[in-house]
Amino acid sequence: MNETIVKLRLNQQQLELMDRTIAQGVAPDRAALVRLALREYAASRKAETAGSSR
Amino acid sequence: MTTRKITSEWILEPGTGKAIELLKGQVLRIEQVEGGQCADFNCFNLHDYKEFMHCGRTRTVHGFHPTKGTFMWSAPPRERAMLYILEDTVGRNDVLFPRCSAYVYEAAYGFSVHTNCHDIQAEAQREYGLTPDDVHDSFNLFMCTGVDADGHAYMTRQTTKAGDHVDLLALMDVLAIPNVCGADVMKTSNFALKPLKLTVFEATEADLASVPTTPVLASQRTPKDFKNPVIKSDRGLRRDPDYRPEFPNTPIVLTELPVALTAEEVTMLNAVKLTDIYGDDDAAALRDILFSWWEERFLQAHAGAPAIEA
Ligand SMILES: [Zn+2]
Repeated sequence: MNETIVKLRLNQQQLELMDRTIAQGVAPDRAALVRLALREYAASRKAETAGSSR
Repeated sequence: MTTRKITSEWILEPGTGKAIELLKGQVLRIEQVEGGQCADFNCFNLHDYKEFMHCGRTRTVHGFHPTKGTFMWSAPPRERAMLYILEDTVGRNDVLFPRCSAYVYEAAYGFSVHTNCHDIQAEAQREYGLTPDDVHDSFNLFMCTGVDADGHAYMTRQTTKAGDHVDLLALMDVLAIPNVCGADVMKTSNFALKPLKLTVFEATEADLASVPTTPVLASQRTPKDFKNPVIKSDRGLRRDPDYRPEFPNTPIVLTELPVALTAEEVTMLNAVKLTDIYGDDDAAALRDILFSWWEERFLQAHAGAPAIEA
């Protein structure tokens, strides 16, 4: 499968917020949390565009 | 009608203000006598004057016109709810404008002496040993203001009538200082200075039960948490040769987090990334998406405002 690696630069405070979110069971690890954010963010923008184009 | 147990009453004459010891559980009513009068308001922790009401935090939490059901907050690092607006029969107060001052009346109107909120506040606060530098940004009761399309604050006439009032419930012991705004050549008080009535009464059980619970957090710090708890008592500033900076969470350290995106996810990223801000820096664009998503999904307060529900 074709994969693209994006290397996020995150500081310790940003990582702490991510880890606390992961601890709530939102995602299994940091990379998975980023991908979940991307998918949900893109989905909500797509829905917005669909809604506003009418 | 509820019978109130009244502790004290005053008529605040034009040009004057009054410092009032308002204890936890007491209510200060600021009331229109004739109508059409703005009241400026300052408030200090009665037992530590370095804790005082902060219009900046108050307007960020409650908007530009805080009314019934909102709080007056103290400044960081205290950030506690000091007073609760229990009643407001008008619903038009202001936290955009500063107190009027002698400078305004001299510079814009040519007065060598004119009633002004700063000097009235200072004179009222002097009863408790405070100085003109201790007067802080005022919460302006009954003042009708807004923001125009250019981003400038404006003020206009008010529609208050005799008997209109705001009730402030003390959530801690405070020194509450209302004053009759000195502006008679502006629209603030409809071009006339009128008295205001002040009444202090005990809150009922029902009043107290109506106050929402606010958080008690470690970030609400008091002098016992300060590296330097001593109030500086002279005017000049001199460097402390023993000072060593201790900024929290420093140094800020960056960690690289590789994220493997599928072709479908790359398409998504390309569709939503903010190219005008981040150019071809996909890592920065994806970081933006991560924390923007987090705010949308998990943040309860307005961005930049703290959560105030306990
Ligand atoms: Zn004034």
